[in-house]
Amino acid sequence: MLDDAQFDLRDSFTAADYQSSEELLKKFKKKDIYRSKDQVLYNLESGMIYHFSNKYDSSSFYLSNAENEIDQNYTKSVSRGVGAFLTNDNKLVYDGEPYEDVYLNAFKALNFIHLQDWDAALVETRRMTYKMTQLDIKIKGLASSFAKSDSTGKTDWETGDVNIQNSAMGHYLSTVLYAKAGDIDDARIEREKLEIALKEQANLSSGRNLVQSDLSKLQNPNTYNVLLAGFTGRAPYKVQEDARVFMDDYDDKKDDEFYLKFSFPVLKTYNSEVNYVRAVVNDSITTPLDLIEQMDKVSAEVYKAKQPIIYSRALLRASTKAIGTKLISGAVREKNEFLGDLLQILGFIAQETTEKADLRSWQTMPGQSWMKTIKLPEGINTVRIEYIGRNGRVRYFDEFEVTITANTELELVESIYAN
Amino acid sequence: MKYSLLTGLLLAFVLVGCRPSQKITRINPNTTTDLSGKWNDTDARLVAEEMITDALSKPWLNQFNRNNQKPPVVIVGRVRNESMEHIETEVFTKELERSFVNSGEISVVASSEERADIRDERLDQQANASYETTKKLGQELGADFMLIGNINSIVDEAVDSRTLAVFYTVNLEFVNIQTNQKVWIGNKKIKKFIERRNYRGMP
Repeated sequence: MLDDAQFDLRDSFTAADYQSSEELLKKFKKKDIYRSKDQVLYNLESGMIYHFSNKYDSSSFYLSNAENEIDQNYTKSVSRGVGAFLTNDNKLVYDGEPYEDVYLNAFKALNFIHLQDWDAALVETRRMTYKMTQLDIKIKGLASSFAKSDSTGKTDWETGDVNIQNSAMGHYLSTVLYAKAGDIDDARIEREKLEIALKEQANLSSGRNLVQSDLSKLQNPNTYNVLLAGFTGRAPYKVQEDARVFMDDYDDKKDDEFYLKFSFPVLKTYNSEVNYVRAVVNDSITTPLDLIEQMDKVSAEVYKAKQPIIYSRALLRASTKAIGTKLISGAVREKNEFLGDLLQILGFIAQETTEKADLRSWQTMPGQSWMKTIKLPEGINTVRIEYIGRNGRVRYFDEFEVTITANTELELVESIYAN
Repeated sequence: MKYSLLTGLLLAFVLVGCRPSQKITRINPNTTTDLSGKWNDTDARLVAEEMITDALSKPWLNQFNRNNQKPPVVIVGRVRNESMEHIETEVFTKELERSFVNSGEISVVASSEERADIRDERLDQQANASYETTKKLGQELGADFMLIGNINSIVDEAVDSRTLAVFYTVNLEFVNIQTNQKVWIGNKKIKKFIERRNYRGMP
């Protein structure tokens, strides 16, 4: 039910029908589709929908709720853990993927920029940087532990090509905000980290140069008064994959095979139809936006670190269920063969129906973020953000009227094409 | 027997089911309530108390009084939040303003945000109020010092996230508006240690 609801929400969000998305959320809330264990997900989806509906206060409220829930869900419920062990991980409270916990701060920062509160936006970018650092330490620690316990030596437990603690989007926003706040040294430091992060992310795109602008200009707040932000693509999604392992009990007296079924989630990324994003200013000047962060690919890299834990938990659970069924049915069969066989059949049915991968994930998170700073003249300007497909044609555009005065410090022009 | 049991069960259900969903207890505003480990009203109160005591007891005040034969005039400027939490700095700056005014030793003038409305009102009076009651332009009390500062935090978290230590440092300064000289610097440090449980019994 929740998985279907998430798909419906994703469909209406990618169609840019945010009013319908809001209605859907209310409907799902009323029908208790999002249970108490799914509140992180509900808050993330609400936060994003309200963000792109230009309801920034509401968006920050829900994203903050999600952040607080993720923090509180560190403490696990014993009873839920037991329930999950007997059935599947959907019984557990969803405490968010690590990349979801990081990116929610990026959108909170954008909310505060829209509300012209630089200090609050900087708080969010600092939180993003902090979480990234902690995540990097944990991932490297996990990889190291797995490597030490792997006696076969056949598996590569390296953490992948992405250095998670350098989120390019976080550093980009920090550079702009520090520059606008007059902290030139901090802006320079963030810009240097941004360049490192972009080089590392280029590894995810086969070395393609993602940024064409001169990033040193970001440090000089007088060279821009508008931040353009375009989002494309979609969040990675999880699909269930099943594995069945047939076992023989090695008892020649009985023809009693059994099998383990275990289901695990596999993260898939969505191929965006957008090749690049550009802005057309006052119908005369065209400037491309820079691909600052491939959020979907970074998410996939981060998720890889968790996979061994998810797989081993699924395998342990499946083994326990299968062996438990076999032992109980075996014991009953000695007294009553028919009942024993019946129990075994029921055990197989239970294995098949209860073993279900946890497919929960933030569906309204975009896949890529594109940014650019520009300087607009005083007065009313039109800015059209165009999303160009692989055939060079405009797939979608958003047009904005941007009013610039002598006092304008920074206007954020934001758009999304979630395809 | 059966009816007594049924009645007892029904009564228990009514008593349990009809309990209010929340319980409210009024407590002293000075009571320490650390619920989340984040910056809270106790932290703001501790900062304000220490800063007030420090500002009113340091030599700069007597020196100014001696040299100028009047109490200093202070305006609250920007107190920057450079931490990782959303902290409302106005909570303790207002407390400082209140204590300064009530002590009689330091005068306070409206901040730049506050005086915008006052100036609009004064301008409005020039056109609309009676001559006798119109307030004159150009009569504002100029501040001698501006109160500025920042609040910063350092978080140290264990790899397993089970424990973390949060350190806050609040700095406030009086800066002479004429000479840029800093005449007072106050500092308050707060450190918290937070332990998280791995498990809880109830869902």
